[in-house]
Amino acid sequence: MLGKLSWSAIPFSQPIPLIAAGGVGLALFAVLGWITVKGHWPYLWKEWITSADHKRIGVMYVLLGLVMLLRGFVDAIMMRTQQASAIGHAQGYLPPEHYDQIFSAHGTIMIFFGAMPVIIGLMNFVVPLQLGVRDVAFPTLNSTSFWLTAAGALLVNMSLVIGEFARTGWLPYAPLSETTYSPGVGVDYYVWAIQISGVGTLMSGINLVTTILKLRAPGMGYLRMPMFCWTALGANMLIVAAFPILTATLAMLTLDRYLGFHFFTNEAGGNMMMFVNLIWAWGHPEVYILILPAFGIFSEIFSTFSSKPLFGYRSMVAATLFIVVVSFTVWLHHFFTMGAGGDVNAAFGIATSIIAVGTGVKIYNWLFTMVGGRLRFPTPMLWSLAFMMTFVIGGMTGVLLAVPPADFMLHNSMFLVAHFHNVINSGVVFGAFAGITYWFPKAFGFRLDEYWGKMAFCLTLAGFLIVFGALYVLGLEGMTRRLQHIDFTEWAPWLYVSVAGIGVMILGVASQIVQIVVSIRNREALRDETGDPWDGRSLEWATSSPPPAFNFAVLPKVHGEEPYWTIKRQAIESQGLADEPPYEAIEMPRNSATGVVTAFFATLIGFSMIWMIWWLAALGFVGAYATFVVFAWRDEEEKEIPAEEVARIDRARRAARSKWLEENREQPA
Amino acid sequence: MSERDIDPADTAPGDEAAEGEAFAGGIASYAVGLGLAALLTAAAFAIVNLPLVWRPAIPMALVVLAIAQMGVHLVFFLHVSSGPDNTNNALALAFGTLVVLLLIGGSVWILGHLDHAMMR
Repeated sequence: MLGKLSWSAIPFSQPIPLIAAGGVGLALFAVLGWITVKGHWPYLWKEWITSADHKRIGVMYVLLGLVMLLRGFVDAIMMRTQQASAIGHAQGYLPPEHYDQIFSAHGTIMIFFGAMPVIIGLMNFVVPLQLGVRDVAFPTLNSTSFWLTAAGALLVNMSLVIGEFARTGWLPYAPLSETTYSPGVGVDYYVWAIQISGVGTLMSGINLVTTILKLRAPGMGYLRMPMFCWTALGANMLIVAAFPILTATLAMLTLDRYLGFHFFTNEAGGNMMMFVNLIWAWGHPEVYILILPAFGIFSEIFSTFSSKPLFGYRSMVAATLFIVVVSFTVWLHHFFTMGAGGDVNAAFGIATSIIAVGTGVKIYNWLFTMVGGRLRFPTPMLWSLAFMMTFVIGGMTGVLLAVPPADFMLHNSMFLVAHFHNVINSGVVFGAFAGITYWFPKAFGFRLDEYWGKMAFCLTLAGFLIVFGALYVLGLEGMTRRLQHIDFTEWAPWLYVSVAGIGVMILGVASQIVQIVVSIRNREALRDETGDPWDGRSLEWATSSPPPAFNFAVLPKVHGEEPYWTIKRQAIESQGLADEPPYEAIEMPRNSATGVVTAFFATLIGFSMIWMIWWLAALGFVGAYATFVVFAWRDEEEKEIPAEEVARIDRARRAARSKWLEENREQPA
Repeated sequence: MSERDIDPADTAPGDEAAEGEAFAGGIASYAVGLGLAALLTAAAFAIVNLPLVWRPAIPMALVVLAIAQMGVHLVFFLHVSSGPDNTNNALALAFGTLVVLLLIGGSVWILGHLDHAMMR
């Protein structure tokens, strides 16, 4: 009846996961109880859970990502403290089988459920606004993508209390992940969580590519799109091209595990090296899926806070597309030591060095954007400057690792760990924080507190440098990654340094939380009245903060590269807004529960496949398909917002802008 | 976006409203596609089971038929053509083909070298 599921799946003998899960469960019940008592369910259901509005979905994506980044950070704290407390005779507090789950969960959560949702959320929120349109191409599909990602995140977190998580690392290399060596449900949790959220990511990629190619404000040609839209296009093209490789590879592993196939096994003609090859053919484009949108965020921020157009816009576009193509020719550098031979290693090593050229072009363009500009240094700009300085170090160690003989020395060492954290942390995570601070006023109508933002920035940067500086040294001293116990006591000082660093980072994370709380409490003082708090240049700043459901009362006409900057200059020069446009009724997509219901059934499918409860899995499949059929037969797709309502909302925006013009009359810029 | 002007140079494949294509014309094109696809499938089974082709050449003949099958799908079902209104589709197809070639070619090359190095 319940497949492999029984009471023995709950780890009563291990206090750490039980207490952690108990805490999370209590917090969850407290939040749900509070929502119920306050009667917020109808609001949440109508305005958020079933919303097809790209802005709401973007915010939910970012929120999911931030919560999961916290979860992944807790794993990181446990790994650093375990290593520092298990040197020589000491054994630390995590047994090997638990420690292995922690580092696997850390990588899986940080990449798939932390970084990806934050980046996809920012693209979802910003891209339609920057393109000057009212929504993405497929609004209900967008909602479904989000909820499937959330379903995957839920499955990973369920593994904390019911069963176990994979002990194979964040990429479950075969044959370790085959049933011979991983008989438990850990790898199954990994596979189903990633497959379900992977479907969501793929659909989100299709959605955003279609949006960028097909829906742009009148007059916005490809070479008038803001840089962030270009990098979003590049990243989503990579999603569409690369994620099917991941899905197919994990499907083959699933067949091996469930039906006794031999794709990646030791015996019967299986080839485990093929797994490593295929997973990295997805894995390397994946890092560019994460970093390209971050490059776009930095481009927007450098241009805005230098009060100048982006330097070398066309070379930036070319560099982005260059990276998109070349990212598919470098994957072997993740396994130089596999033994494919000198010719193969040399070719991929050279390709890896060449891809750094695209990033180099971008770094110089950002530098020249700042040259001669009127620079301002609020929090988003600080994150961007820190990115540029630290990312260059990560890039250099990357080019060093691209040299096969050097890689043979450094493969699987802490130097490698330090390298990829250096690029992902200072690239993607700093980019995410920069983007969140930059677009927060657009999403919620008030800015984030600058004092706590700068505090969080300084502490996070310092902690990051201490932790990964120490790991670089440990790598050069020969320490390998994923050690549960350290025999070599000479490494102890640097392990203590990295624990001190993570202490500083904890303060940084706490400052971020304080920043949000303080900003919400002072929201009236931090209010953004005009919708343009940073003196921005692209179209998202043309509408109010937060934007109305339809984004733009009248779609803006684009005549150049920086459409909003042109509109703003005209308004300041003529000391008045353009004439009021004729307002028309606007049709917007209706809310739909399709996404959340499909995700509910997908969670059922995932959970029952993990525990081999076949009838429940069948029920899940039927339910998910029925949801799709019901959606396909819907009668009303759109709701109409009457012209008077549009006019009322847009007149309020125009009044705020006129007031700003009035107040700033004395100082024509 | 209902009020978005339909730009004939920038329409989705199968966007009948934009193409101004009659529904019946669409049906005829799909019927031709279905016929060709079925014919190619039947041909694949035929050359394996009937003594029509020199036996060592059968794998290559199947590869040719498979590529023709992909072409039929692209033209009749996915509406990829070389017309001027089809730039996006042609570019998407080129990008997809490039990625598939890189992936398959790269994997064969890498694992071939590995196999050689393992002296199997």
